[in-house]
Amino acid sequence: MNDSRSIRMHYTLRAFILLSFALYIGHLAQQDTLHYYVTPKLASLVKLCPIPLAAMAFSLTIQALFGKSSALCNCDQHLPRSGLRSITLYSLFLFPLLLGFLLPDRALGSVAASKKGVSLTYVASEQKFISSDSYQEEFAELARILYEQPVISVYPEIFSETFGAIDRYKQPFEGKEIIVSGFLYPNEPESHDKSFTLSRFLVQCCTADATPFGIMVDPGTQISLPADTWIEVRGKLHIVQYKGQEIMQISAVSITPISQPPTPYIYTSPDSVEAWYQLEKSSGGASEQASAK
Amino acid sequence: MKTFTPIKILPLLLPVAFLIILSIVWLPEHQALLDNAYIDSFKIALIGILLEALPFVLAGALLSSLLRVFVPDEMISRWIPKRPIPAIIFACLLGVIFPICECGMIPLVRRLIHKGMPVYVAIVFILSGPILNPVVYGATFTAFRSHPVLAYSRMGLAFCVACIIGLAVYATVKKSPLRLSVTQETEETHQRSFRGGKLVSIFVHTSDEFFEMGKYLIIGCLLTSAIQTFMVHDSLVAIGGKPLGSYLFMMGLAFVLSLCSTSDAFVASTFLHTFPPGSLLAFLVLGPMLDFKNSLMLMALFKTKFALYLFFLIFSGVFIGSVLFSIWL
Repeated sequence: MNDSRSIRMHYTLRAFILLSFALYIGHLAQQDTLHYYVTPKLASLVKLCPIPLAAMAFSLTIQALFGKSSALCNCDQHLPRSGLRSITLYSLFLFPLLLGFLLPDRALGSVAASKKGVSLTYVASEQKFISSDSYQEEFAELARILYEQPVISVYPEIFSETFGAIDRYKQPFEGKEIIVSGFLYPNEPESHDKSFTLSRFLVQCCTADATPFGIMVDPGTQISLPADTWIEVRGKLHIVQYKGQEIMQISAVSITPISQPPTPYIYTSPDSVEAWYQLEKSSGGASEQASAK
Repeated sequence: MKTFTPIKILPLLLPVAFLIILSIVWLPEHQALLDNAYIDSFKIALIGILLEALPFVLAGALLSSLLRVFVPDEMISRWIPKRPIPAIIFACLLGVIFPICECGMIPLVRRLIHKGMPVYVAIVFILSGPILNPVVYGATFTAFRSHPVLAYSRMGLAFCVACIIGLAVYATVKKSPLRLSVTQETEETHQRSFRGGKLVSIFVHTSDEFFEMGKYLIIGCLLTSAIQTFMVHDSLVAIGGKPLGSYLFMMGLAFVLSLCSTSDAFVASTFLHTFPPGSLLAFLVLGPMLDFKNSLMLMALFKTKFALYLFFLIFSGVFIGSVLFSIWL
């Protein structure tokens, strides 16, 4: 089975698979959908992968086409020995590629959120342990800035930090006006409640570790938007009791369906206060437009 | 050679068996399984894990192929201290120099063993490398900014467990536990003459390594994403209600989720309010040492008996260690 002709076949097949992987990454980068799967930081690493992949494919092709037959030996026992096993091996590699190319690229939605369980409290609010000071200071500072705003607009870049700061102090933010966008995650059907959760996925490395975070929204009247609809909610913050825990809830004044933002996930920010000033400076006009609307 | 056949085919049968079980268990009750949303989230998880691991696997394969082509055999064994304890500490510190994820670790370590690194030193490197490195420390520290003691104890426990397992392997294992024995490998020291010289030979070796490890990686990714798609977190949280149950639960979760060691800290931090810190520590240390895709790759590297022995050592070491550390936490 491992004569030089079959080795050439293996090499050609492998070159084809490697090239397909390289093309798939290129395709994702071109469509700007790479960040549906990995964080922007990792995406820049992933974008480098086509270079070694193409080099590997190129070298294998050279071997397959021009390599001397005597040099093509299977001394490492690394090539599969039977036809069936080769088929299994290569279909294993082709399967994710097929999935990738055939199915449309979509961001995670409420189905995944229901499996993972939407977190309504934020990591920052934990006070069980000894806390490091600089971190607490950052939250205190962010909370102070937010408190001074007439209307808190939640920037997606610091989504988790903003709600972390609000969730930590709660009381001062009672009755504050807020604008936030996310996707609609319906609460459990058995609760017969018209409230829903406005949710966002926080991604740290890749979509495998995506954790849904959310805030409860009381729409006032029954709304008929389907799950996974992207909406912008404007309303007032209130402290409510939910399953024995104090959480923040938005009493909505207006709920507007919006189109899915180009970056549907949220990421953590190393310095949320700095990020807030930056965002305020760059999108000051934009947020005013949003509030005027 | 024929003796390897059933063992090699076994991992390939696993996903098939898993898919059959899945369809039997879920199909009659949940028509929603056929819903597009499930396939979507399965695809997102699968491609996500695969893309995340790809740069590291490629880096590992490339490094190992560079080692194979350029570094002479004697060099590695000259660098490693002869006495076991300095050698183990040396292996722990190697992770600082090679900050790669566990996916890239195994092809690299395989090459290092063939180049003369003692097995116990290699195992310490496999275990400590994915945790004891600056990238992972930074990520853990960021995820647990409000209680950095967990980041310190993660590093500490990983160091202790890796050292103890290294010593245990040094003391108990005398025969080579590798699946492909070293002698067999050195027989083919005859240089293969590649067209295009060294550069082409590097990339051909890289693709060999890539396909060798890639199949286990993809099987691991398939299983992990299936579990992520169909497993409900809340139902599992109920298992972890008891004090020791929470340790077992978090360790099981670490094994099943197969997260990258640079990102698992964040997932762990979402469990802060439901689980004791000791069990989070168990999650953080066990995950990079032993998980689904990793254990398949270890099975490919080592003989089954030795791999199982190693799994047992890791599991018990992390369990006892994290319970002990929890007194101090």
